[in-house]
Amino acid sequence: MARAARRLGWAALAVGVLLVLGGPAGAQTAADPKVVDPILFEAPGVPGGTLTLSVLSSPRSFNYYGVIDNVTYEIMGQVLSPLVEENPVTFELEPGLASSWEVSEDGRTVTFHLRPVRWSDGEPFTADDVVFTMEHVVLNPYAEGNERARYTIGGELVRWEKVDDQTVRAILPQPYGAFFRVLAHALILPEHRLAHLTEGANPNLEPGSFNRAWTTDTPLDQIVGTGPFRLSRYDPDQRVVLTRNPYFDWKVDPWGNPLPYVDELVYLIVQNPQVQLAQFQAGAIDVLTLNAADFPGLKSQEVAGAPFRVFAGNPVTPTPSPPHWAFNWDVDDPELRALFRDQRFRAAMEHLLDRERIIDQVYNTLAILPGTPVLPSNRAFYNPEVAEIRRPYDPARAQAILDELGLLDVDGDGIRELPSGRDLEFTLTASVTDQAMSDIAALLREELLEAGIRVHLQLLAGNLVGDRAVAGEFQSILHAFGNQPDPQLRKAIWQPGQPLYYWHGSTMDRTTQEPVFEAMVDWERRVWELFELGQTAMDPAERKAYYDEWQAIYARELPVIFIAKGMNLRAVQNSVGNYFQTEDGVLAGTPYTAYRK
Amino acid sequence: MSQYVIRRLLAMPGFMVLISIVAFAVIQAQPGDFGSQYFSNPRVSYETALQMRAQLGLDQPAWKQYLIWVKGIVTRGDFGYSFAYKRPVADLIWERLAWTVVVSGASLLFSWVVAIPIGIYAAVRKYSFLDYALTFLGFIGLSIPNFFLALVLMYLLLQAGATSVGGLFSPEMVGAPWSWAKVVDLAKHLWVPVVAIGTSGTASLLRLMRANLLDVLQMPYVMTARSKGLAERVVIWKHAVRNAINPLVSLLGMQLPELLSGTIVTAIVLNLPTMGPFFYDALINQDQYLVMTFLMMSALLMLLGNLLADILLVWVDPTIRYD
Repeated sequence: MARAARRLGWAALAVGVLLVLGGPAGAQTAADPKVVDPILFEAPGVPGGTLTLSVLSSPRSFNYYGVIDNVTYEIMGQVLSPLVEENPVTFELEPGLASSWEVSEDGRTVTFHLRPVRWSDGEPFTADDVVFTMEHVVLNPYAEGNERARYTIGGELVRWEKVDDQTVRAILPQPYGAFFRVLAHALILPEHRLAHLTEGANPNLEPGSFNRAWTTDTPLDQIVGTGPFRLSRYDPDQRVVLTRNPYFDWKVDPWGNPLPYVDELVYLIVQNPQVQLAQFQAGAIDVLTLNAADFPGLKSQEVAGAPFRVFAGNPVTPTPSPPHWAFNWDVDDPELRALFRDQRFRAAMEHLLDRERIIDQVYNTLAILPGTPVLPSNRAFYNPEVAEIRRPYDPARAQAILDELGLLDVDGDGIRELPSGRDLEFTLTASVTDQAMSDIAALLREELLEAGIRVHLQLLAGNLVGDRAVAGEFQSILHAFGNQPDPQLRKAIWQPGQPLYYWHGSTMDRTTQEPVFEAMVDWERRVWELFELGQTAMDPAERKAYYDEWQAIYARELPVIFIAKGMNLRAVQNSVGNYFQTEDGVLAGTPYTAYRK
Repeated sequence: MSQYVIRRLLAMPGFMVLISIVAFAVIQAQPGDFGSQYFSNPRVSYETALQMRAQLGLDQPAWKQYLIWVKGIVTRGDFGYSFAYKRPVADLIWERLAWTVVVSGASLLFSWVVAIPIGIYAAVRKYSFLDYALTFLGFIGLSIPNFFLALVLMYLLLQAGATSVGGLFSPEMVGAPWSWAKVVDLAKHLWVPVVAIGTSGTASLLRLMRANLLDVLQMPYVMTARSKGLAERVVIWKHAVRNAINPLVSLLGMQLPELLSGTIVTAIVLNLPTMGPFFYDALINQDQYLVMTFLMMSALLMLLGNLLADILLVWVDPTIRYD
């Protein structure tokens, strides 16, 4: 069905292109604009009006690479554009500021052809901007949000060269499979506005000066971009207003009309999710991301005739990764250490994990079984085999395994004993900030107690849980990371010997940051190898084969136990168009395709 | 008197230094620092995380960080940079100061204007029905947490179909130039925080005023005033209230720092663009110079408030002398 719909879309697109060539409809658009994927549209939009969204905190800065802050990313994502774009529904890669590119035979040189685009102050966008952004910002070790690690392959950096004003070349030290995926996160900055504020481009500055450019007190007309909107007003802690970028002409809808439809995009800053919900119900916010607890109430209001729609979308966004349960392989207690390293013990723990009950009670049924950790909707990388390997909830089987391991309740107090005669007990660290995490922890504690294992809950503030994990100061822990659709981008977590492979921290030498192969077990060495292979392979099918094997190993060996993945929940006012659910059940909707009905 | 004030003012820097040392020590005693979040973020490489901590000066020993900060204040009047916002701390606080003072000032005014007359009334008509009713209301106001009252008010407003929930303005009014309509919009929003924040203050002031006045009304000089045939109005206002209000004046001085920090949870609940939520966020993120500067401002207001209260006392009560 979806495929048919998309074919239809492409047909409409062809008609649209004809219209552009034949009539004045295309008068405002560039010669060769990008036609946005029809999957993002329910209907052609009406120009004009305001779209109001909300964010949970003030942007810390307007400098995309100067801070680590999701609100900054969200807002600047409307102002700036990358060379290569990620489709917000399918996650496929599409042309962005680069209209096309060629990869050389050896896979090490990529030549990008740039669109004729103007910055929002009217200056032309050129290859110089790309080289400036890559060399002095993305690869700048002093920029707080730099992406240097993503462009370091085998210890060497990707080099960028200008060929002419409209052509730029990247020279890779080795072929690099995730190259286009990482480019989708590299938004291009204007050299003519930032070069004098950036160390490297301006040798008079001290290292780190770039981070102080484009802060929230910068006059907004100095912040220019190539995206659909530009900043026009900021009231601290109240709202950020963006207006249509007058020079934005390189994207059109499938019918050839210019985008964006709305004239104004407002982000209300609402620090409290309850107030957000109240303001949405009062009609002050147009689109709202929901949590599972608020969903049923809003849904029943929708059914009762409230002027909004509520969607439960298939989980496609990889962040946060499905929460996982990890055991510390390097814990001080030698008996627990031996136990946690035993795959049979971890298998018993998975048998004690009642995922259905968690989905029911913690997520209000609004969750699905997890991947390991690639989501089932991620067609480029998901290995369906992991669903068969996944051990079902089976307390009797778990008890049998624990018995086999010699963990018996000798003294008859209901708690099994370790070989030394001590009770089998350990702590479970979880976030108290995240309601789902502490609920899951409570359910696990109950489940394990029935199987004769005593769990002590240690509920901490969310940021402390992350600190404890990385420092290895835990016995077992519930945790989640920001994930990415391409495993290569998160090898820092999932590849043994990396800084965030925290459940087996001794696989990395803390001082040299090098992997310690002697510390790894056989399958960990294989996973390490698979990630290295996946990094340099350029062929998508070959890469998928490597990452398939990795997922299967994770499902079988259980370095961590993935729990469940919450659905994407969203509420939309009826007066807003093109925020909807596709036939695949995925949520679609972006500020530049939305319109007011 | 002036000697006394000068002496007090001279002692202030010493107090401030002591307070700053304690505050800094407490901040440092928290586990981790602003830089530690980088280490558990998969977006940030380990090298970058180390680099950033060094750039922020977090790899230095605590005493050194403190001295560098103090040196900046003394030599350049620079209160340091916010780690999160990459901007001078003073600018960030300044941006939010106006609304903070407006909201807290209005709530303070509300609680005094409501509490003092009611307190007087309740004392003068003690054990009357209205006295009982008002005292009862006072107890309720005292026992309901501000933030909860704010939530209840918001819920009721929403049920009544209001569109002005949270914040200080309707979204379309935030950036509008000042006009009569904007003032009306502000008033429509402002009364919720003013009532929510002011109520508990009102309740305690009311009880204090009533109790003090009751004490004073027993005094022989009040009886004297009555017996020499003064009008009841003059007895109450000129002789009794003026004496009963003394302890409340010192309370006013103590409330001065609350102008900045008194309303954190309520401000978060009501989504106010004031200092409270901003400070809370800085505390959670361990944005240490922002936290320090904020605490120092509170401390300074506290010291000034106390001094002001002592001066006011002399003015209200001629029997008090400091020389």
